[in-house]
Amino acid sequence: MNDSFTTRRRFIVAAVTLSTITTSLSSPSWLSLSAAWAGSTDDSAAAQTLFTGAARLLFPHDRIPDSVYASVMTNVLAAAANDPGLSSTLQSAEDSLNSRRSQPWVALESPEQLAVLQELQGESFFVVLTETVRGNFYYHPDVWKYIDYPGSSKEFGGYIHRGFDDIDWLPEGS
Amino acid sequence: MSKLFELKDGSVVVVIGSGAGGGTVANELAQKGIDVVCLEAGSRLTLADIVNDPPAMDAKIGWHDKRMGSMAWICKTVGGTTMRWSGVTPRIQEHEFKALSTYGQFDAGTTLIDWPITLDELAPYYDKAEDKMGVSGTHGIPPSAETNNFKVMKAGAKRVGYKEVTSTRTAINPVARDGRAGCQQLGFCNSGCAMGAKWSTLYTEVPAAEKTGNFELRTEVMAVKINHSKSGQVTGVVYADKAGILHEQKARAICVAGNVVETTRLLLNSASPMFPEGLGNSSDHVGRNYMRHMFAITNAVMPNPVNYHRGTRQSGIILDEQYHKPGRGFAGGYILETLGLDPWNLSNIVGGWGSDNTKFTDKFTYIAGAFVTGEDPPEAANRITLHATEKDANGLPVPVLTYRDHPNSLAMREHSIKMLRELYESLGATEFHGGDVPLGAHNMGVARMSAKAEDGVTNRWGQIHDIPNLFVSDGSVFSTSAAANPTLTIVALAIRQADHIAARMNQKTL
Ligand SMILES: Cc1cc2nc3c(=O)[nH]c(=O)nc-3n(C[C@H](O)[C@H](O)[C@H](O)COP(=O)(O)OP(=O)(O)OC[C@H]3O[C@@H](n4cnc5c(N)ncnc54)[C@H](O)[C@@H]3O)c2cc1C
Ligand code: SF4
Repeated sequence: MNDSFTTRRRFIVAAVTLSTITTSLSSPSWLSLSAAWAGSTDDSAAAQTLFTGAARLLFPHDRIPDSVYASVMTNVLAAAANDPGLSSTLQSAEDSLNSRRSQPWVALESPEQLAVLQELQGESFFVVLTETVRGNFYYHPDVWKYIDYPGSSKEFGGYIHRGFDDIDWLPEGS
Repeated sequence: MSKLFELKDGSVVVVIGSGAGGGTVANELAQKGIDVVCLEAGSRLTLADIVNDPPAMDAKIGWHDKRMGSMAWICKTVGGTTMRWSGVTPRIQEHEFKALSTYGQFDAGTTLIDWPITLDELAPYYDKAEDKMGVSGTHGIPPSAETNNFKVMKAGAKRVGYKEVTSTRTAINPVARDGRAGCQQLGFCNSGCAMGAKWSTLYTEVPAAEKTGNFELRTEVMAVKINHSKSGQVTGVVYADKAGILHEQKARAICVAGNVVETTRLLLNSASPMFPEGLGNSSDHVGRNYMRHMFAITNAVMPNPVNYHRGTRQSGIILDEQYHKPGRGFAGGYILETLGLDPWNLSNIVGGWGSDNTKFTDKFTYIAGAFVTGEDPPEAANRITLHATEKDANGLPVPVLTYRDHPNSLAMREHSIKMLRELYESLGATEFHGGDVPLGAHNMGVARMSAKAEDGVTNRWGQIHDIPNLFVSDGSVFSTSAAANPTLTIVALAIRQADHIAARMNQKTL
């Protein structure tokens, strides 16, 4: 538990790196960025599809459209282009997901895709993938919109006049 | 105004670290007219540098040098971990200062002792610390405003029969006081308080010390070794500047406050022919008895919105379980505290993946949350050591943190989670998650105060038993952990230590 938590914490640092990298690039298109990672446009399109699907199964929210998962994974793939460690983790993830069944992972039905993820969850690449997605997903402002998390509050004067104590459904007298 | 001291000026007291312990002892000494040089590994931010962006703030204030083993979530920045802390400031109770007498030794692995000081002795310093830090509900300061998350906790507490529920005991200004703003309920307390409402030495002790004209802060310098004379008195601190160049600041006395992991590393790394096992380590206790409290975190999905991200992360506590009631199946007690999280924190703490995880984040605005801190028995095998071969960027041996929960802590965690589940379910919680959170946020032990030199590292003043002018001024000196969040006690002990150092200087014994 301790060790896995340490590993999990480390990805907050990965998330920092990722946001720094993505904001420093002007209007990144996932195609060119992930091409840089995977080497060819075809491969990178396949990687984008695969990881977008995996991200949805890792952190499923019915309300959140695929386009948001896609943009989170675009950031991750872009970061991998400059991070050999992450890049090789993603490569093993892709290889492992695709080699568990006779068909490539993206061609499987959703329950079967989930089953493959469950089979692989003990692998070290899986931990890195999950925590990289978790950090990038839950620190992505597009995700916040769908779960009603507003992000930074300093510029709005905090919550002192915006409902930090507005709860009204608790039992009387408490 | 800030003063500059010469490296060869051996009349100064050198303080290592500018966090809760170091910042306080340095300022207290400077206020008494004593010259102080404070060495701080991190850089100096201003309030304008603080943004509501946890990953960006972690990059600015976090400690990212290599470490191995259990994690310790502490800071490298002027102000140390008081930039990241939540401000909860309960006192240690009388019986907790007498841990061995009250609980007895747990088993062959535990190393409980009684503190060499009592609550009576520390009480006047607790008063001073609360006043200095601006603890809500003390010294005429109003209670902290009740956040939604606290109101839920309070309502549930009533239902399960808890009586001691309070929104006091937080070192966050409810209203402006002492040059610091009142809390605007921004809700990013653990990434630095952009208002300066939460006590941090960055904007309290450090500038106050600078005003005396007796104090110099050197930033982005890493203390790597303490030197001593043939007679066994410490004489100076070797530190690496930003470029990695080594300097030695001469000193009359030295106070180490690097926050447990770094305090251990510095004492052990200063080994010499006279002190072959490291400074203060003739008893083989340096680095041992490492404590970090029994921690638990719970998150409950409530039937209606709570919005626990709004406002202070922690500003209310339940004290009913802090007492020693062995009938519960464990020794010592724990404190229940409110805790609000952001979506990443929540997802991370619930852990795992898939819908078992997202059933919490999906209901983000409906979550109520709590944190538990409880007594953690010292064990000789819970310890910090230096890696034999691994070195960090400064060429220093990498610290290795070995820590496990004692079975007493496991039983206590289970009990606290059961109580919190009852509390939130009494109000209709539909999902509940409770678990461990091995953060290493409250670090204690490793240079503990002991009445007998063979039982610890420091005496009742935090002075290394066998070195008259070397002091430890952080949580390392805790003899046992008690249940309370540690920082109020660190600050009270630092104020007391400064009085002692000044008195000895007057008597010419230092
Ligand atoms: C998220 C979080 C929440 C917390 N909430 C609470 C709370 O509500 N209540 C509470 O009581 N406590 C809380 N704490 C704990 C509290 O932050 C610490 O107890 C306190 O800051 C410890 O003070 P310190 O002086 O020992 O160390 P720190 O405050 O960490 O300061 C140590 C300083 O020393 C510097 N340093 C270290 N080594 C060297 C070196 N070799 N050379 C130069 N400089 C060095 C570091 O850069 C740092 O600035 C919390 C901690 C965390 C992480
Ligand atoms: S909630 Fe209050 S204490 Fe916390 S960061 Fe905001 S202003 Fe500071």
